[in-house]
Amino acid sequence: MKRKIAAVAIVGTVALTLTACGGAAPAGTSGGDTKSDKLVVWNWGEADAAATAYYDDITAAFKKVRPDVEVEIVHQPFDQYYTLLGSAVEAGTGPDVALFNGGTQLKSRTDMLVPITSEMADLEDTLAGWPAFQADGETYSAPMFLQGFPIYYNKALFDSAGLDADTPPASWDELTAACSAVLDKTDASCFALGNKEGLGIEFFLSGFGSGIFTPDEYDAWIDGKHDWTSAHAKQVLQLWADSAADGWYNDGANSTAMFNDSFDLFSAGKAAMVIGLMSDTAHWKQFDEFLGADLGFMMPVAVNDGATVALPAEGGIGYGVLNEKKKDLAVDWIKATVDKDALSNYSLAGGQIASDTTVELDTDIAAANDIVAELGGSKPLLHTALDAETLDLLHRLGQQLIGGEVTVDEAAEQLAASEG
Amino acid sequence: MVLPVILILVIFRLYPLILGVNFSFTGDKELNGQFVGLDNYVTLLGDARFRASAVNVLVVLLFVPLQVFVAGILATFVFLKVPGHSFFRSVYFLPVVLSPIIIGAIFNIILAANGPLNAALGVINLPGVDWLGLRATALPTVLVVHIWATFGMAFTIFLAGFATLDAELLDAAKIDGANMRQQVVHVIIPSLSQTIQFVFVTTTIGMLTGLFGLLYTMTAGGPGAASYLPEFLIWKLTGEARPALASAASVFLLLIVLVIGLIQIRVLRRATKES
Repeated sequence: MKRKIAAVAIVGTVALTLTACGGAAPAGTSGGDTKSDKLVVWNWGEADAAATAYYDDITAAFKKVRPDVEVEIVHQPFDQYYTLLGSAVEAGTGPDVALFNGGTQLKSRTDMLVPITSEMADLEDTLAGWPAFQADGETYSAPMFLQGFPIYYNKALFDSAGLDADTPPASWDELTAACSAVLDKTDASCFALGNKEGLGIEFFLSGFGSGIFTPDEYDAWIDGKHDWTSAHAKQVLQLWADSAADGWYNDGANSTAMFNDSFDLFSAGKAAMVIGLMSDTAHWKQFDEFLGADLGFMMPVAVNDGATVALPAEGGIGYGVLNEKKKDLAVDWIKATVDKDALSNYSLAGGQIASDTTVELDTDIAAANDIVAELGGSKPLLHTALDAETLDLLHRLGQQLIGGEVTVDEAAEQLAASEG
Repeated sequence: MVLPVILILVIFRLYPLILGVNFSFTGDKELNGQFVGLDNYVTLLGDARFRASAVNVLVVLLFVPLQVFVAGILATFVFLKVPGHSFFRSVYFLPVVLSPIIIGAIFNIILAANGPLNAALGVINLPGVDWLGLRATALPTVLVVHIWATFGMAFTIFLAGFATLDAELLDAAKIDGANMRQQVVHVIIPSLSQTIQFVFVTTTIGMLTGLFGLLYTMTAGGPGAASYLPEFLIWKLTGEARPALASAASVFLLLIVLVIGLIQIRVLRRATKES
């Protein structure tokens, strides 16, 4: 026993004497090789037919410019994508380019990304949604699609609950009344919620935020001034906790995965409403396949006087460059991802709202046209203005608020402390 | 002859270990490679996830005897050749060969709020429980699934231990009129002292370092940080581009396993020896 403890002590001492030797992270930003005939690309999600066609299109566009370069596309699961990416980069085995969500996920990782500001300059006027991919005056990606949190509802369930399916709730009181009716008169839950990863509260914050904060507070939040102890920030947390306590959500929300279990509940008619996405997945196109004419779109509801409701939307996803040695190749790949024909084809086939403002969405899906009609007055997402550490804390607190483990005041204090 | 073995141990075991401990005293991001003393350990103590992990280690330890007991009692039944013992011997070992990810996926379905387990409880008028979504039940549920999935290994080791049991000693005890309890306490347990120690220590290490797959698929550490364990935290910290902090958490895990293992061996040596 003593010998073993002594051995451990020796190891520790030796380690202490070595503390000037090297660092835990590799010196480079990526472990991508330097061979100029291959580009390793990471993204997430399953390659459905539409996505496969889109990637065929952009690979073809890339090959026009780089005919001799092989593209290796690696699909990772989304739920742990950033942890996998971070681990790979730290281990020196990261890809050359990787897909990122705009906002927090990209901005908190600019230290591992290569700026491409001048290379993207000629695309600036063609695409919308740049701010989500810019930090400290540098551009790190080109937005492929716009992303946002529209609220979708099931018109058939509204009818069953005795609600006017063509006039969705416009205020918090009306929403509360609608939820009561749905819970009383149908077997469905009011909202579908998957909170296993803690994502629910960020959808709630960004989904309903414009109806809670004043325009000045909203803009200040986007600019990085997050006063978690303010009345309206606490109100967000309170409404989140109250909505759970009032039984708005499906059973077992904290153990239900958001992607895609909770969205499946909405598609299957087991929930009257859901805060979904505009692009990528859980969007108008996917829901239309299940609900057809019963799919409705509604704007955030007005909660406080002085708030101006707006569709929460911004630059959604785009590729960032991780391997500086392959910057030129990666830039050509990024330009290929925003090829107008590829975006145009995928918008309709895959259910995406393209960043290219010259692309017209030619669809008869009412929810999609309603979303596009609101883009002009849209505001950036509130949760993507938070840093990664605060967002992770918000995820955990969102679960604890549902479980009644923390009070709103405690949660607000912890978030304020996290923002430092 | 010994030198190659020592070299392999030093290169593949000792050097990475020292390197990991070394990294725990360096910084992350802009401080990469710079000596920061005990800063990482101080940061960890202030991290709610780390504190939850440390507390959860104690919860895990409470479940170790359960796994050893389950494996031991079932191995005893098989040793005593209960009807169908050959069939049970195979069945008990079967889950060991399954991937934790598969097991996690299966139990996600079984334990879902509207899943078959709660439906079965409903049949007997018991309320359903969100097993994986409540602070009080998330980690214990994962641990019970882990025990179900891995007790087959301990069970097999116990069977091997029974094979070394001195049958004459057991017969002598029976002739002297020892009842079942006395046979177990005074003959079987002392004879299996080494086996019990081994199973306890390997089960503990297995629980502390082998739960990642189940946590990943079943709870993702939640709700809040209720089911975080050191290895899950290490992985999260690495993914947050803080490998030095992850190294500090790894050193913490190493020390826990080491200290608990040594204490267990000591305590069990006394507890299982015939005075």
